[in-house]
Amino acid sequence: MRILLAEDDPNISIIAKISLEKLGGFDVTVVSDGEAALNEALTQKYDLILLDEMMPKMNGLRVCQEYKARCPSPKPVIFLSAKSQESDIREFTDNGTGFIPKPFDPRKLPEQIAALLKGVA
Amino acid sequence: MKSIRVRLFILLSLFAGTTLTLSWVTYSSFKALMDSRRQLELSYTIRDEVEQVGALKPGTELYRRMQSYGPLLQPDRRRQELTDMLQAAAGNHAAQLNVRHKTFVKNEAEYQRFMREEMNYLESKLLYYGSLALFTMLFGFVALQLFISRSVVRPLHVLSRKMVDFLHDRYTYQFHVPSNDEVGQMQATFNSLAQRVISNMEQLKTLDQAKSEFLSIASHELRTPLTSIKGSLSLMRTGVVGKMNEMADNLLTIAENETDRLIRLINDILDLAKIEARKLPLHQDWHSFTDLVKTSLDSLQGLAGQADVHLQCDSMPAMEAYMDSDRVQQVLTNLLSNAIKFSPAGQTVHVQCEINDRNELLVTVRDHGRGIAPEDQEAIFQKFRQATSVSNPLVKGTGLGLAIAKALVDQHGGMIGVRSTPGEGSSFYFTLPEWRYNQQRPALPGTEKVA
Repeated sequence: MRILLAEDDPNISIIAKISLEKLGGFDVTVVSDGEAALNEALTQKYDLILLDEMMPKMNGLRVCQEYKARCPSPKPVIFLSAKSQESDIREFTDNGTGFIPKPFDPRKLPEQIAALLKGVA
Repeated sequence: MKSIRVRLFILLSLFAGTTLTLSWVTYSSFKALMDSRRQLELSYTIRDEVEQVGALKPGTELYRRMQSYGPLLQPDRRRQELTDMLQAAAGNHAAQLNVRHKTFVKNEAEYQRFMREEMNYLESKLLYYGSLALFTMLFGFVALQLFISRSVVRPLHVLSRKMVDFLHDRYTYQFHVPSNDEVGQMQATFNSLAQRVISNMEQLKTLDQAKSEFLSIASHELRTPLTSIKGSLSLMRTGVVGKMNEMADNLLTIAENETDRLIRLINDILDLAKIEARKLPLHQDWHSFTDLVKTSLDSLQGLAGQADVHLQCDSMPAMEAYMDSDRVQQVLTNLLSNAIKFSPAGQTVHVQCEINDRNELLVTVRDHGRGIAPEDQEAIFQKFRQATSVSNPLVKGTGLGLAIAKALVDQHGGMIGVRSTPGEGSSFYFTLPEWRYNQQRPALPGTEKVA
């Protein structure tokens, strides 16, 4: 399973990459801004897109909307965000498949993703 | 423009001077009128009495009376005439007496005519000046009233209205000084005062903003590296980097625990700073208090189980409270987790909700721990103050939990406190002023045991 991870904090992206590869057994590609994320998502084949909400150039929500508008068969999108207000969370769940609050526990990240994907399937 | 004091002095002097002068003129006219009347009456009497010139002989009653009138007569010429006549009577010259008598009577008649005219004149003068004095007094009174009202009362009223406006934060920057008299000076002073208060307030606002900025920067800048440290450590613990020996494992445990503690501490400090700076607005609404207690009890099952402590809800009427339920739950969870941490194994922590005699919702959390010494009972609600020497390994709080709880309860308009007897346990309580019974939801059963 190929995952695109868009996260601007290099430390967090390393931790998430290790967690997803070693614990989840996924194949992870990391990009660090919104535009790169949108390009990657549209040009390469991924099974899941993990988007940080706060990113340079384009925020996660916009990336998701553009992606869904342009891609004929969009893959599930999961947001990562420190925003915890109900209105924010509703926006994430309306636009994407789900939402994982930050800071996340790298030990549980693959499980959280699996649980969210299970809900879709 | 001159000062009110000088203007008032001038006005009062003018008023007093005019009134006094007019009154004096009136009085003197009145006195002259009285004098004239007396003289006229005297003149009539004398003329009537000296009608029979033959009876005017020295030694007679009439003669003596005439003599006594002498000094009363005014002016001197009349007195002279009377004296001449009486001398003629005493001299026994009948012809001379007759001449003198005729002259006297004629003069008196003329004097009477003159006096009547004089009295008419005096009367009209009295009337004129009297009315003038009265009118001046009335006019002066009105003018004085008008002056005081215009230059003292009205400006003071305007100023006091401005002060009230200022009190209610409705101060416009119109520093208008009406005049440079005493009230104007007062207005100017008030303006300076207001300007200073406004500039101080702006300074405070800037400081407040700086504080908010610091808070948000600090919370972001402190949490970000800690999140990475925490994530790295927990990943290393999973063994993805390879198997670790016991020593490395121990060191990792220390690093992880201390990182956790640091994260909790930072979260608590920032929370408290936000609450104290009123930067954490309450999202108050009517929420079921029954549900809140149930959720809090459920969330602490794990901790209670770990410590082998029972949680029991003694009484929970179905009610709602006007509150920020997340925040009140934070308070209750804090009290409950403290009670669990300080309870010996096998004991029970009791929760009780009731209405106190001040008609507030009163929540009590009672434990059977060591209790708190009276001198510590107030200190534990202060920042970074825990009761002396905690030996329980479960107790590793940040020392801010109760301070946060107190700040939150204060923000809800309630009270928080503790009653405790050392050796017997403690009862922590807090109140919420706004509550109501909830008819729709059933109450929790009287007792609920959670292992």
